[in-house]
Amino acid sequence: MTISKERSVTATLAAATCTLLGTVPAPVDAQEEPKWDFNTSVLYYGEDGDRVQDASLKALIRRMFVDDRYLTLGITVDTLTGATPSGAIRQDGAQTFTRPSGNGSYVVPAGEHPLDDTFHDTRVALSANWTQPTGRAGLFDVGTSFSKEYDYTHLGVNARYAHDFNKRNTTLSAGISFSQDSVDPVGGSPRPLSEMLDVGDISNRSGSEDKDIIDVVVGITQVINPKLIVQANYSLSQSDGYLNNPYKVLSVVDPITGDTLARTPGIEGGPSGIFLFENRPDTRTQHSIYTQAKYYMGGKVLDVSYRYMTDDWEIDSHTVDLRYRWPLGSEKYLEPHLRFYTQSEAEFYRLSLPDPNDPNGAPLPAYASSDYRLGNFDAITAGLKYGWTTKNGNEMSVRLEWYRQTGTIPADQIIGNQANRDNYPDLNAVIAQFSYRFDL
Amino acid sequence: MGSPCELITEAGSRDRARDLARLVADEVWRIEDKFSRYRDDNIVHRINTAAGRGVEVDEETAGLLDFAVTLYELSDRKFDITSGVLRAVWRFDGSDRVPEPEAVRGILDKVGWDKVSWQRPVLTMPAGMEIDLGGIGKEYAADRAINLLRAAGAPPSLVNLGGDLAVSGPPSNRRAWKVAIEGDLEGSHDRLIELRQGALTTSGDARRYLLRKGVRYGHILDPTTGWPVPDAPRSVTVAADTCTQAGMISTMAMLRGQGAEQFLAEEGIQSWCRR
Repeated sequence: MTISKERSVTATLAAATCTLLGTVPAPVDAQEEPKWDFNTSVLYYGEDGDRVQDASLKALIRRMFVDDRYLTLGITVDTLTGATPSGAIRQDGAQTFTRPSGNGSYVVPAGEHPLDDTFHDTRVALSANWTQPTGRAGLFDVGTSFSKEYDYTHLGVNARYAHDFNKRNTTLSAGISFSQDSVDPVGGSPRPLSEMLDVGDISNRSGSEDKDIIDVVVGITQVINPKLIVQANYSLSQSDGYLNNPYKVLSVVDPITGDTLARTPGIEGGPSGIFLFENRPDTRTQHSIYTQAKYYMGGKVLDVSYRYMTDDWEIDSHTVDLRYRWPLGSEKYLEPHLRFYTQSEAEFYRLSLPDPNDPNGAPLPAYASSDYRLGNFDAITAGLKYGWTTKNGNEMSVRLEWYRQTGTIPADQIIGNQANRDNYPDLNAVIAQFSYRFDL
Repeated sequence: MGSPCELITEAGSRDRARDLARLVADEVWRIEDKFSRYRDDNIVHRINTAAGRGVEVDEETAGLLDFAVTLYELSDRKFDITSGVLRAVWRFDGSDRVPEPEAVRGILDKVGWDKVSWQRPVLTMPAGMEIDLGGIGKEYAADRAINLLRAAGAPPSLVNLGGDLAVSGPPSNRRAWKVAIEGDLEGSHDRLIELRQGALTTSGDARRYLLRKGVRYGHILDPTTGWPVPDAPRSVTVAADTCTQAGMISTMAMLRGQGAEQFLAEEGIQSWCRR
């Protein structure tokens, strides 16, 4: 066979291959798998009774490189509006509060739970992580995170290493993260356990405050058999610094009636009762154990997890989470979700406080907060997710969930008339999410 | 074939899958038995031990020899099925045992297709020379297997003969067959290729080399010099209509050394090089 110089190597080879195989092949159709993976979602979280509403846009963008290395970039934008409990208790009459800014006041009608409606914010969070294999069985991940909202700034770094053993059936991992946050409250941070003052009086306020958090986590993942994979983690979280919520107060009450002590507002207006800003310890150590099992049953996957958390604020919590992925054909699935949560209250959780100026009254505790999130409560989440694969291989899903939280105040904290009022109103929320995952 | 081979097929039943696997395995073993240089009962053995006498070959062998001639000419004499004897002096075991130049020179007169007389169907080769169809056989076997599967009306299937693979068509319920190309680390993925039609091969083996005085000697030998091709990519992955085309192009690219990427680009080949 003579080779004409004008013909390309490829064309000559194609002709020779046809002769060799005796067939004309179909043309090749191959492409490198997309290098960019976008995981985007829009989420709405809404609490009932004009409480918090959060609209959130999120994108997780992954850029793949050769040798299993990848960069993951995250961006989240949240818009929060609505009202949140101020920490004060209900009264039979209307109550007036100074706004956190100190620039005005608001009135809570008689018998209603005091909510601070000045709560609205936009949060932007960014993260970047680099992941790469190290050696044959190792995987190293290092990253940084940043978030900013009006009164809060977070800066964090994290690193994690995972190592496979036992023919990749066992993975041990260890991670550490460090974050430095600063709070710059609207109107300044109030002196702990100081009184809510008249409009325009910021004599008990100072500037921004900081806190540091170190998290350490060690974990093991074990493939038990082709159908069952289990995981267990232990994590330790140590927070130091300003851990108060600068906007939360407690009502100071009469030791017999349990009603809020009245106060005469100044000319500019001010609180109608005595309210003290909360104070929490400046350290918190949390331990948590997390276990998870995923079981594959002929196409369906059951995912069960349990978390136990305990801390030196004496909050103990238990979370059980159940998910069941139920395929409908090869391109669609339904996933019911149930989550149960229960926690005990912090040792310094108080519904209300005694009068610090009463010489015969009980002494003021060193730490006190009536933040409902530090109280004794149970919560249940029930939801359903429906996911499908589009014609071009992208994934979409919609998720709808209901959240219900019911709290109880320890009986020994309820004084006089407080027994006739709902001091821990139920919280109901709805969560709706649409996710779209695509490649480029 | 000296490497793991697999058939992935969408056969609906175990029996059907077993029948198809049997069909593929029989053909692959037939080709291996017929063209392996490690056996003493086949056509390659007869050619290599003919000691200067002419050997008449069958149609299939003649087809492969014709094909080898085309490759020899296309590659500027670098793709040469008589180059196998160089293995007597080169062993790429990661050591520093680079052969002496005299030893390489000594064996070079046993290498070179130009010393062979090929008058279809008779091949006459000087005594001491050997042919080795190992550089074509695996790819040829994969394509033959795909043709047999098509002829048997098999459902979408993928044949993988030690990393040289071909598909009979796109999978029925997914976008494509996903093929991971192994990186330097065993078990790691260099990249993922989505293959719907055609074939994919990778030439180069990062674990086969010699290292002496800081110089790395890759395992791709240039039969015109007897020495490893300098500056060859660590691996070349090529997508083409058939496994045979893909395999030959990736080998030819390796033989171009520094010019591998330029060659592939000029030829408009869908390929992925690793340096």
